[in-house]
Amino acid sequence: MTSLPLTSPDPASPDLTSLPLTAAQSGMWFAQALDPLSPAQNTAECLEIDGPLDAELFAAALRRVASEAEALRVVRVEDTPEGPRQYVADRIELPLTVRESGTDAEARAWMRADLAEPFDLAHGPLFRHALFRVGPDRWLWYQRIHHLVMDGYGYSLLVRRTAEVYSALVRGAGPAPGPFGTLAELVADDTAYRASPAFDADRAHWAGAFADRPQAPRLAGRGALPSRTFLRRGAQLSPEATRRLRDLAGRLRATWPDVLIAAQALYTSRVTARGDVVLGLPMMGRMGSVALRVPGMVMNVLPLRLAVSPEATFAELVRQVVLGIREARRHQRYRYEDIRRDLGLLGESRALVGPLVNVMPFDYGVDFAGAPARARNLSAGPVDDLTVNIHDRADGRGLHIDHDGNPALYDDGDLAAHQDRFLHLVDRLTDTDPHLPLAVHGMATGPERALVLEEFNRTDRAVPPTTLIGPIEAQAARTPDATALVTGDTVLTYGQLNTRANRLARHLRSLGAGPGAVVAVSVPRSAELVVTLLAVLKAGAAYLPLDPDYPAPRLTYMLQDAAPVCAVTDRAGRLPDGTGTELVVLEGLDVSAQPWTNPPRALTPAHPAYVIYTSGSTGRPKGVVVPHRAVDNRLRWMQHAYGLTAGDRVLQKTPSSFDVSVWEFFWPLREGAALVVAEPGGHKDPVYLARTIREQAVTTCHFVPSMLQVFLAAPEAAGCGAVLRRVFCSGEALPRETARAFAHTLPDVELHNLYGPTEAAVDVTYHACDPAQAGPVPIGRPVWNTRLYVLDAALQPCPPGVPGELYLAGVQLADGYLGRPELTASRFVCDPFSPAGARMYRTGDLARWSPRGEVEYLGRTDHQVKLRGQRVELGEVEAALAARPGVDGACAVVREDRLVGYVTGDADPADVRAALARRLPEHLVPAAVVVLAEFPLSPSGKLDRRELPAPVFGGDAGARSPASPREAALVRLFAEVLQVAEAGPDDAFFDLGGTSLLAVRLVARVREEFGTELTIGSLFEAPTPAALAARLETAGAAGEDALGVVLPLRTEGDRTPLFAVHPAGGLAWCYAGLAARLGPQQPVYGLQARGLTGDERLPRTLQEEAEDYARQIRGIQPHGPYRLLGWSVGGVLAHTVAVLLRRAGEEVELLALLDAFPAEQWRHRPAPEEGDALTAVLRMAGFERTGERDREDVLATLRRAGSPLAGLSGRALERIVDIVPNHARMMREHEHTAYDGDVLFFTAAAPRAEDWLTREAWRPHVTGALVNHDLDCTHPQLMRDRYLDDIAAVLAARLKELDA
Amino acid sequence: MASTPLTVARIRADVADCLGEDPADIPVDENLVDYGLDSVRIMTLLEGWRREHAVTAGFADLAERPAIAAWAPLLGAA
Repeated sequence: MTSLPLTSPDPASPDLTSLPLTAAQSGMWFAQALDPLSPAQNTAECLEIDGPLDAELFAAALRRVASEAEALRVVRVEDTPEGPRQYVADRIELPLTVRESGTDAEARAWMRADLAEPFDLAHGPLFRHALFRVGPDRWLWYQRIHHLVMDGYGYSLLVRRTAEVYSALVRGAGPAPGPFGTLAELVADDTAYRASPAFDADRAHWAGAFADRPQAPRLAGRGALPSRTFLRRGAQLSPEATRRLRDLAGRLRATWPDVLIAAQALYTSRVTARGDVVLGLPMMGRMGSVALRVPGMVMNVLPLRLAVSPEATFAELVRQVVLGIREARRHQRYRYEDIRRDLGLLGESRALVGPLVNVMPFDYGVDFAGAPARARNLSAGPVDDLTVNIHDRADGRGLHIDHDGNPALYDDGDLAAHQDRFLHLVDRLTDTDPHLPLAVHGMATGPERALVLEEFNRTDRAVPPTTLIGPIEAQAARTPDATALVTGDTVLTYGQLNTRANRLARHLRSLGAGPGAVVAVSVPRSAELVVTLLAVLKAGAAYLPLDPDYPAPRLTYMLQDAAPVCAVTDRAGRLPDGTGTELVVLEGLDVSAQPWTNPPRALTPAHPAYVIYTSGSTGRPKGVVVPHRAVDNRLRWMQHAYGLTAGDRVLQKTPSSFDVSVWEFFWPLREGAALVVAEPGGHKDPVYLARTIREQAVTTCHFVPSMLQVFLAAPEAAGCGAVLRRVFCSGEALPRETARAFAHTLPDVELHNLYGPTEAAVDVTYHACDPAQAGPVPIGRPVWNTRLYVLDAALQPCPPGVPGELYLAGVQLADGYLGRPELTASRFVCDPFSPAGARMYRTGDLARWSPRGEVEYLGRTDHQVKLRGQRVELGEVEAALAARPGVDGACAVVREDRLVGYVTGDADPADVRAALARRLPEHLVPAAVVVLAEFPLSPSGKLDRRELPAPVFGGDAGARSPASPREAALVRLFAEVLQVAEAGPDDAFFDLGGTSLLAVRLVARVREEFGTELTIGSLFEAPTPAALAARLETAGAAGEDALGVVLPLRTEGDRTPLFAVHPAGGLAWCYAGLAARLGPQQPVYGLQARGLTGDERLPRTLQEEAEDYARQIRGIQPHGPYRLLGWSVGGVLAHTVAVLLRRAGEEVELLALLDAFPAEQWRHRPAPEEGDALTAVLRMAGFERTGERDREDVLATLRRAGSPLAGLSGRALERIVDIVPNHARMMREHEHTAYDGDVLFFTAAAPRAEDWLTREAWRPHVTGALVNHDLDCTHPQLMRDRYLDDIAAVLAARLKELDA
Repeated sequence: MASTPLTVARIRADVADCLGEDPADIPVDENLVDYGLDSVRIMTLLEGWRREHAVTAGFADLAERPAIAAWAPLLGAA
């Protein structure tokens, strides 16, 4: 072994000895270096001593122990070219505070305040003592030590030795010789290990055990950077419970920590819905080592990977823990940080482990000259996520359990819930046969279980035993002359509608239509469609809607599968021949001879009302049979909740094959309101819809959220606010941004979010959107006579906040799938929470309860997706692809809101796509089919969907060349937005795979490139590049590239231009609102960061960047006086530009800084990492970051919300994510020069996390006056309309003075 | 009160018991960490031996050299 010069006297201070840090210490050192002012590395403990204590002797004992324990004499830690080193002083002044009077509470407050103080590693010692007398014979001994020099076991050595020395001093005896080893021994031991073959073997072990880099299970559902503080909740496991725990451990031939670790693994598995759980186990790491006698930092965290399934028993899980720890212990010296680095997780800021279970069974059976002491840990070091600290003080009081949480992930309530459930689970586990399957254990506590099963589901409501049609007939009898139906210019009264439907119903009855039978209906949206649907119901039969646009094979399949007694169509030839179904063609059908009265029928609420087909995962669509009772309940609830009146008008625009149409058709007719029927195809055109709503005075309508987004983007939408009363959303997740946009555009209209599968009579939950709320929009509470269950993998109810699969029960459940008993049995399963015989429907949706009893939708558990509100089973698409000749293997995915099929084999992709288009409804036809040589596989041999190549969409490029530069530019934009290789000037946007969301993006790009406002509506009207070019021709106004260094926000105007420098993200778009407010005579130019386009490199310093901008400004305005403005980083840049212009001898008449702060305020703060950069990108778009984990998530949010930023090329967004941290870095390195002029300052005066920021810091850099204006908003809110109004008013006044 | 001294056989039996192994499978001269011995188990063993055999050795003494042969003199088992 090589001999290293481990210790050396420090030449600068001869009484200091210098040593390298051990690997364990280095980990702590790096953590502190990331945030030098953070107190997170503080560890602390308080000993409660009951008995008399001599403070003088106690101090003497502490001095003695400090002289024995080298770690306490580390007075400096600093980086050197050879790596970080620690400097140990021969002697130190004991940092001891003694308070001989005061209360326990005062002492605790003192400790809390002290614990919030960071140590300065450059100025030790790195510990602190305090001794409080809080009663005649009660003392508190507090110690705080930096984690870099001490760990939990180290504390136990210090405490034992202090008690020993003190007791000896009290006896008047000389203490036994010091028992401690030296830091040099630790360093040598560490060095030897890292050079040993064991080190390589350990590395290989861990690299192999986690080669697949499993996701860390996160109880909060996400990770976060470590915070400076932690939250703690403590609990005591009673001596009785502790005894039972030890008892169970004994029976399982394990230790109590093994049992608690297994319990935490079970809890984590269920709460995170993962079968593969990795926990972190802090280990003292001293077994068999000299470190047993060295107070210092040695501990390590080891990952323990466990497979947890509901079928396994607790005994098996405990056994797995015992064996897993045994295995881990053999490799316990290898550092956790090194494991993460080896796996490449460090670079990605990814954790390897979820919750930590920190067992501290250290021997604290000590007394101070006979006075017994009890130890309480106050801080066990940084908390990345959640740590369960378990202290066994061997004091007969049972175990003490502290749950510590990262406040970025948990609040006090969350922490308390996790702790209560854990203790509840431990209690149950110790009281249950450990050989039963884990499925018998639920994670919810008793009260939580009662809450989610009973309280949140209190929906019982007596309803009369009616049908869907009965109340409509009753209404017709009550108000025969009221308007029932409006379609185009035609108006039908209730009486007229009823009569027509009755006559047709009687005709259908003559063909066999009656209760229990099915009648297919294939009629485009029209008055005839409504008459037909009513007629089928009046006859007593269930209707089966057949979308006239569906391909013939699909229609044939449905007709054969459902076997209707007849099919009603508007004209001949609507349905494919040869199905054997009897046709009723309305065109030319004369039923006037039939009686006009309601037909008699033996219809009960149990009979089916309709059959609607949905996508089936095995490739066969399935018919959902919904009984009258279910839909009647649904409509009665809806009327109770929203109270439709005779004055209401409901828009019917949803295709009848989509179950939302059910309430549109029938709810108004049951309540005496009017039904306004939209034109066929009209539901896709926002301009038409807005006009119809206005002209027909529609009060109530429905939108799929993505279509609502498109609708709101149309300028015509705002005009609907005067007539609309309520809008319903369902069909897919409603983004909060869309809800917010709705509140902005239609402030007086209610927005309701509903949820439900076809299998449960349209909707089973409801939520009224509140513009004041943030976060995901809930799907809400259960409707009448409906129960919602969120269940975990063991079908046990999830407590509030914990995700699980959503199950539905109650009166609204469908009967099942037509003619598919096995499929029905697999989805409609036995409801274990209701009386025997009740069923529940397994939705496949992931959801969680909010504490208030609303459900939040989180996604799918399977491959079902929703595209524009339509259910798409990828399995069905895959089955259709695989059925094509020449296709060997197939898979389907949704990429950027478009369905893409992948196949292997020698099939022609265009033929495959065309074949599917002939067989499947439009929403199931892939926008592109890609042929692959083979599918990308993950290491485990599964299809790796993420590795599938992006599709290449193709247009008709061969047709003709663009006729004008504008046409050419639009062709390019089409190709870019649609990601097609080529597009022709006459290719229609929607034919090339365009979706409503891509339309939003195209419009944004057109706005950027041409500086022209274009609406989504105009894209419907002018869907090709040629048509759009013609439209833009008349619209006029051309602009420059919106990503260039100079962004001309307004070029006309005769005043001196205002130059506005971009904030951290580099874009100056945010100043568009300001430019608008400063009036038509004030030219405004934005300055934008280099590197948003092309390959420009990013600047290295703010000085370099400012010099560039000064040149750009002088290119536009060669000489002063200049007017400059900047927000955030832009303010610092504007200040520097002002200095440069003054140095060049120019006049600067305005320097306006918007909540910008100089470099030295930032210098010592940690720079943001990519996570923060992503937050900044979101903020630029006006969002607060919620669950977005990475770039992809952020892009998805922007796209969902239709943000213009999402219209940026992926590359430009990628660059923004680089530009933000580059600015953060340059900010911290910038050196200011004083500007000899005045500053107009705007402060975002709402309280902020960075409370140390102050505009006063500008004083050294500004020789003139600093005039401040406070705005009651946060930094990101400054550019919101409300505050821009104020800023613009102040600015305009100042500019006016300057102009005068 | 006099208590019975420990024997190597007794130590071995106790160790085996807390590791869930058969005494015959626990060698006297090998590192017990490889057999699953950890600090909690040492504490448990030590508590029992202190109670029943008047053992005075500390946790660090045992944890420093976790092998039965090394423990025997510390635990008073000749």
